[in-house]
Amino acid sequence: MTVNDISRRRFIGQTAAGLGVVSLLGCSAHFSHWRFFTEEEAKLVEAITGQIIPADDDPGAIEAGVVFYIDKQLVGPLAAYQADYRRGLPLLQHTCRKMFGKTFLELKWEEQTTVLKALESGNVDQQEWGEQSPQRFFSLLRDHTMQGFYGSPRHGGNRNYISYKMLDLDMPYIIGQNRYRQS
Amino acid sequence: MKKPNQTTMILLAGALTLALLIAFGAFFTWWSLASPRKTCLSCHEMQTNYDNWADSYHRDINCKSCHGGALSNGWHSMLENGRRVVGHFSGNSRPELAMQEEQILRILPRCKGCHEAEYADWQAGGHSVTYADIYLDATHNHTEQPHNDCMRCHGMFFSGNIAEIVTPVNNQGPWRFVDAEKAEQPVIPCLACHHIHRPGQPAQAPDYAEPQMIASTRPARLVNVEFYVRSEKTHFAAADLPALKLWEGARPVQVSDDVRQRVCSQCHAPDAWHQAGTSDDRTPRGVHEGLSCLACHAPHKHETAQSCGNCHPALSNCGLDVKVMDTTFRDPASKNNIHFAKCADCHKDGRTSTRKAG
Ligand code: HEC
Ligand code: HEC
Ligand code: HEC
Ligand code: HEC
Ligand code: HEC
Ligand code: HEC
Ligand code: HEC
Ligand code: HEC
Repeated sequence: MTVNDISRRRFIGQTAAGLGVVSLLGCSAHFSHWRFFTEEEAKLVEAITGQIIPADDDPGAIEAGVVFYIDKQLVGPLAAYQADYRRGLPLLQHTCRKMFGKTFLELKWEEQTTVLKALESGNVDQQEWGEQSPQRFFSLLRDHTMQGFYGSPRHGGNRNYISYKMLDLDMPYIIGQNRYRQS
Repeated sequence: MKKPNQTTMILLAGALTLALLIAFGAFFTWWSLASPRKTCLSCHEMQTNYDNWADSYHRDINCKSCHGGALSNGWHSMLENGRRVVGHFSGNSRPELAMQEEQILRILPRCKGCHEAEYADWQAGGHSVTYADIYLDATHNHTEQPHNDCMRCHGMFFSGNIAEIVTPVNNQGPWRFVDAEKAEQPVIPCLACHHIHRPGQPAQAPDYAEPQMIASTRPARLVNVEFYVRSEKTHFAAADLPALKLWEGARPVQVSDDVRQRVCSQCHAPDAWHQAGTSDDRTPRGVHEGLSCLACHAPHKHETAQSCGNCHPALSNCGLDVKVMDTTFRDPASKNNIHFAKCADCHKDGRTSTRKAG
């Protein structure tokens, strides 16, 4: 092996290392907890889920982390609904402003309920919503909230089996192996 | 055109190599010393892990003490990082950051480095049992063929199915591992019961200025014990696991409310009908009903010899030293199982009614 060979190998090795460094530095972008939502969207969706399944004696959708379920699934199996959220959320805010002159998060609890009821019944500024169906958007939010609340934690929601505890389901089940020698 | 001569080539390559080496060395030093906020976290996907760590009892410990530096895991980890970045920029959504069994096992020697006593105890107790002990046990396999559910309690971090561990998947055998390396790996590693990225408080010194107040002001500090639930690919804190409801016939058994025992009960569990003593259930009944496993079993090593003296005076109800009485403590072959023995098991003639005062 010649001197030249060695240094070329080293050269390639170091270059690869250098590229590794670059690739590590390359991801020093902004931080986000979210996969799909922006920080504001996430706050909004979280509040909506809290309206749909509020906490009473038992925890609700916020405590169960339902917004994490929706966020996670929107870049997975529910990707088809991305556009519905991107279009629907601003329209919902628009409806809030129209009805109360405030954004959803600034509204009182009862006012938030009123807005969601308006969506559910389609009783909104049709001109602004145009092609979009407020009823459809509401039922989407409701379905996804239910899924996140009652589904398995592995999909992102139902944190610590919160809803199963409410239903008095002992999860994870306590079941021993099939024992051939019983003591 | 004049070819550059070989010396120039060597010099050039040498200079480049040197420059890269210096840059790289500087980077490596920085990487090893800088705050995790600047290094590990530069992949923003780790924000959540960082937050969890910053609130954990390991908050004073650098990411690298457990995960290794960018390079100490070798090119492999670098490649992984590379892939993650590629996946990220190709818009291919955010990859899940979950550790594979291989990485979980690679961390074990690091736990050992700081928790030598616990590691040694674990090694000496039954929980350091290996894949070979569990999956090549002929008696067990002949009676019940290996299946996916075994991994709920043995090998919870393995991501594949049973056919990827042992072959053939039947009750005839002879069985062998698909990957011979599995044989010596532990099936119940530290992380089966401990979760690192979760909230916890490091221990703190009391206020010595008021010595008489130390006891009353000491904050309750529970050691964090969790259980890795394979089906959910996540840990559950002991307090979030269900409490065992157990029956002896129709009688509800009084089960200790020590939450740590809920972890034990996930594996040392009764059958689906929760009849006491079925399957691997060891929940105490009889004279020890209501006691927690950890009242007698030291964690990790499970030795019990020191525990009797915590509760038993030199002479017991029976006027005897409990350690030499006929139970499975003294002799594993005894018919009086220490977990289940009742007064009546030894006093069939009803002599217990003549119990002396004092
Ligand atoms: C005391 C050891 C220890 C320290 C310190 C530590 N980790 Fe971890 N880390 C672990 C273990 C063990 C796991 C496996 C899951 C668990 O127990 O939380 C893990 C898991 C992870 C994961 C994968 C996510 C998952 O849930 O599997 C990432 C990413 C991570 N750590 C990043 C970091 C970063 C960034 C830091 C520093 C801010 C850090 N870790 C500090 C031990 C540690
Ligand atoms: C660099 C040293 C270091 C490493 C590596 C390390 N630990 Fe620790 N660990 C500590 C220290 C220090 C504490 C005590 C912090 C305190 O409570 O003040 C601790 C505390 C703990 C506790 C007790 C927490 C409690 O609730 O009191 C557990 C359990 C634990 N570590 C498990 C692990 C496991 C499992 C690993 C391997 C994944 C690991 N540690 C790796 C240093 C380390
Ligand atoms: C619910 C948890 C659980 C499941 C599921 C489970 N085991 Fe076990 N296994 C245990 C416990 C607990 C012990 C220790 C029993 C004891 O010593 O009391 C054990 C012990 C063993 C042993 C040691 C020898 C013996 O028989 O005690 C073998 C081998 C074994 N298991 C194999 C398997 C195989 C193979 C499967 C799947 C067919 C399986 N286990 C499923 C919990 C489980
Ligand atoms: C089967 C479950 C289980 C496994 C596996 C396990 N531990 Fe533990 N560990 C426990 C329990 C239970 C406690 C709590 C004891 C207590 O509350 O005093 C504990 C406590 C600890 C503590 C805190 C000790 C203290 O007194 O502060 C450390 C550190 C620890 N374990 C490290 C480890 C390490 C390292 C391993 C792997 C070699 C490991 N554990 C494996 C169940 C387990
Ligand atoms: C992940 C499943 C699992 C959990 C959780 C678990 N065990 Fe075990 N345990 C086993 C298995 C499997 C064996 C049998 C290992 C063997 O064959 O050597 C065992 C064996 C034992 C033994 C007998 C061997 C010895 O070390 O003396 C004791 C005692 C024991 N476990 C106590 C406990 C206690 C106490 C807890 C709760 C802190 C606990 N176990 C939690 C699976 C588990
Ligand atoms: C009153 C004290 C006591 C309590 C409480 C207790 N054990 Fe034990 N256990 C013992 C003694 C003594 C032995 C046998 C000798 C030894 O291993 O030190 C033993 C042995 C075991 C063994 C191995 C031998 C066998 O019987 O298969 C397992 C497994 C076990 N215990 C699990 C548990 C679990 C799980 C709990 C809680 C549900 C528990 N024990 C509660 C004292 C106790
Ligand atoms: C946490 C406390 C505790 C521990 C630890 C404990 N025991 Fe006991 N034990 C009791 C109690 C309470 C009774 C029942 C006394 C009664 O009902 O009057 C009892 C009763 C007994 C009895 C029945 C005879 C009698 O004197 O009542 C035997 C035998 C026994 N224990 C053996 C052991 C052995 C062996 C150990 C050590 C492995 C042990 N125990 C550890 C609390 C304990
Ligand atoms: C492991 C077996 C065993 C268990 C369990 C046990 N004993 Fe005993 N007991 C004995 C033996 C052995 C003696 C002494 C020999 C004899 O008198 O038969 C004894 C003696 C006694 C005596 C003294 C009797 C006398 O005439 O002097 C009393 C009282 C007593 N036991 C009460 C209890 C009570 C109460 C319990 C339950 C909490 C209990 N024993 C559980 C084995 C046991």
